[in-house]
Amino acid sequence: MKRNNGIESSDSLKREFTETEKVILSRRSVRQYKKEQVPEFMVRRILEAGRFAPSAGNYQPWKFIVLRDPELIKSLTETVTASCRMFRGMIDYRRKGYSWLRPMTKFMTRLMYRDLHPMPFTAIPLIADGKLDLWHGAPTVIVILKDVRGVSSPDLDCGIAGQNMVLAAHSMGLGTCWVGFAKLALEKSMKWKKRLGISYPYKFASSLAIGWPRGNPDGMIPRQTHAVDWYENGTLKIIS
Amino acid sequence: MGRFGFFDRFRIPTYDDPEQMQFGIVEIDVGKCNGCSLCAGACPADALVIVDKKARMKNAPENACAFCGDCAAICQTGAISMKSPYRFTKFYKTINRVGVSPPRL
Repeated sequence: MKRNNGIESSDSLKREFTETEKVILSRRSVRQYKKEQVPEFMVRRILEAGRFAPSAGNYQPWKFIVLRDPELIKSLTETVTASCRMFRGMIDYRRKGYSWLRPMTKFMTRLMYRDLHPMPFTAIPLIADGKLDLWHGAPTVIVILKDVRGVSSPDLDCGIAGQNMVLAAHSMGLGTCWVGFAKLALEKSMKWKKRLGISYPYKFASSLAIGWPRGNPDGMIPRQTHAVDWYENGTLKIIS
Repeated sequence: MGRFGFFDRFRIPTYDDPEQMQFGIVEIDVGKCNGCSLCAGACPADALVIVDKKARMKNAPENACAFCGDCAAICQTGAISMKSPYRFTKFYKTINRVGVSPPRL
């Protein structure tokens, strides 16, 4: 993109979004993929986008694992499905005849409030029943591991690297989805940690499903606006 | 703008009580829907079902719509419009969210 600070460019900015903005604003999570594999050079390019992400102290606290074997992806999915089935049995009080679980689940929710937020809570039974596939049938999976010795907040840096990769993938016409549930296998299962060599200083951060989308899932949609405090000229205004 | 009470921090809402958990709502224009079921496949919460070749939203509490908009974006005929985002109470009360708007220039 050509950079100029003239009036002309700011006029066109007011008229339409830049190409980068369009990718950011129209990116939707993709949960239906074609079976067709993603070409290797594209995955390498996506990894390059992650490699050039900003990080605290330029520590680059990440390691990427690319999974492209359908059997491997399938058996990882099975591990997560089995864990979800177990958890559902322990916590899901919404089933008929299980309301007695409610006080215990609420207590656990207070302790694990990020893991048992209503959204993952409702996803656990869906995964357990096989209604929600872990990586949605994507042919390529990138697992993002964080280096726990990283500067300041390695999780955040991995998030930045991941978002770079996701946006690069969408600019190529691919679809992606962030999948945090993989932690049930890649953080909690000794078997899988051993098999994929996940050990100190690395720890599971998140994972990305990548593939060719079915249909045309990208597009701009309405979203909640957030209140923003704006300090200028000695006063505060709240915009939304 | 919402405020977060002191006791709210300790009370976990009951997930199957529609009074405490209001999930997202999308509206489907039955006239435009062609029953392609792309939306039902895109929905991470399994909140949409195809009945008689038309998409339909499940009733609360089975639908757990996160208001992600994947259904509205994937719909080829533009039959899905997004109505209201999820609103939780107590510990998970959503605060500082104002209205709903598409990307603004």
